[in-house]
Amino acid sequence: MLLALRDVGKTWLIKRTGERVVALQSISLDVQAGEFLIFLGPSGCGKSTLLQIIAGLEAPSSGEIRFPQARGHAKLTSMVFQDYALFPWRTVLGNVVFGPEVRHVARAEREVAVRRLIELVNLTGAEHRYPHELSGGMRQRVALARALANDPQILLFDEPLAALDAQTRRVLQDELLRIWRETGKTFVYVTHSLQEAVLLGSRIVLMTASPGRIKRIVDVPLARPRHVTGRQEAAILDQLDGLLGDEVTQAMAL
Amino acid sequence: MTASHLRQLASVVGLLVLWQLLVQTGKLSELFLPAPLSVLASMWEMTRSGQLPWAVLVSLNRVLQGFVYGAAAGIVLGLLAGAVGWIEDVLDPWVAAVYPIPKSALFPLFLLWFGLGDASKIATIAIGVLFLVLVNTITGVRSLSPVLLKAARDLGATRIQIFTKVILPGALPNIFTGLRLGAGMALILVFITEIEATKAGLGFLLWEAFQLLDTRKVFAGVVTFGLLGVATTWLLQWLERVGCPWLQRSN
Repeated sequence: MLLALRDVGKTWLIKRTGERVVALQSISLDVQAGEFLIFLGPSGCGKSTLLQIIAGLEAPSSGEIRFPQARGHAKLTSMVFQDYALFPWRTVLGNVVFGPEVRHVARAEREVAVRRLIELVNLTGAEHRYPHELSGGMRQRVALARALANDPQILLFDEPLAALDAQTRRVLQDELLRIWRETGKTFVYVTHSLQEAVLLGSRIVLMTASPGRIKRIVDVPLARPRHVTGRQEAAILDQLDGLLGDEVTQAMAL
Repeated sequence: MTASHLRQLASVVGLLVLWQLLVQTGKLSELFLPAPLSVLASMWEMTRSGQLPWAVLVSLNRVLQGFVYGAAAGIVLGLLAGAVGWIEDVLDPWVAAVYPIPKSALFPLFLLWFGLGDASKIATIAIGVLFLVLVNTITGVRSLSPVLLKAARDLGATRIQIFTKVILPGALPNIFTGLRLGAGMALILVFITEIEATKAGLGFLLWEAFQLLDTRKVFAGVVTFGLLGVATTWLLQWLERVGCPWLQRSN
């Protein structure tokens, strides 16, 4: 086990009204090394908040997060944001090298590592371009390489493909699976797309909305490559669709 | 050269020629509008005698010192105010109170405090530049997307690294806007502060020429101020290209 969530909760205080909103409630989950874990749920189910809590960017209001195998000061998690969050004043190379640079990795060592990562995400030749000179798909590749540059145990993805067109999304889904296999890292991936969850995930955590809770955990034992039109894939899609449909109806009724 | 360039050139040359002719045929008085060629001749004379270069040098020295002090203070305070909540609270009322005051109105005070020498002029210019750079720097820090700060934190940056590697470069385009506005302000203020209580500088030269009704010299001063304005704009544009290469349009 790589990461253990125990009874994690998050409550927001809306300052203007003094109202308390429960975003997450009693989330308990073990993340296994090397798995491709999906958080799937409707908008507002707190899945992005959960990712931020795992990343250490937000503190939980209750419960705890443990990394049982944490060793030394290895960077445990790295985040890939939906809107890329690239530094516009840095080139592709400059963005990817940011993590090693701020952690004072020796120059020669980080140059080698960064070149290798740029090759891994198929961006060789674009090293000296600025983010605004790249397409959306290329930007997300940079964000992925930048997150990998810290050699984290777990990569966190916050709807990374949501802003891309369908074609590019399809290509990048395959790329993500390839990189997941090649690096052997653990991927924790937030999405609201059923198809994406079934195409990518080895385990799908289905979440309910307001308050965000775990409704069901669905294993996806299917071989890859998967196809949304496949018979077994369709069966799981159907099952998820039914479960998710209830949630959306409930969320909209509120 | 495109048709647009040709029209622009024709507009300038045409007007200058018309002006020259109107003066030569006596339709315009040399006292009010000296002919372009006589202004040019006057500038050449003043340059050869060393009067004009000396005046420019004296004024540039005041502008440069005031600009550098004001800009440095504005950038440092602006970054700190934008990044640290309590510093902003401490600065905010002062910015709100002093920003709307025309900085030329502070010149008499500075004369009183710093005397008739260069210090009072430099202080006036510095204050004028400071507020423009400060306000624009704060805007630059505020316009930074919070997700970039989050990403930097996630990648392991310390608070100081976030300041130097994210907040500073992120605010740089707005800082340059402040510097450009500040440069214009510095030229305005150097002229105003050189009208009184000095015996040197481009502003002094221009004002003295006016009092002697030497209109050609007045024009020479105005044209020189214009050239200084163009030169500072070019210099700052070049600095911005070097400092913010990511803002270049790609072809």
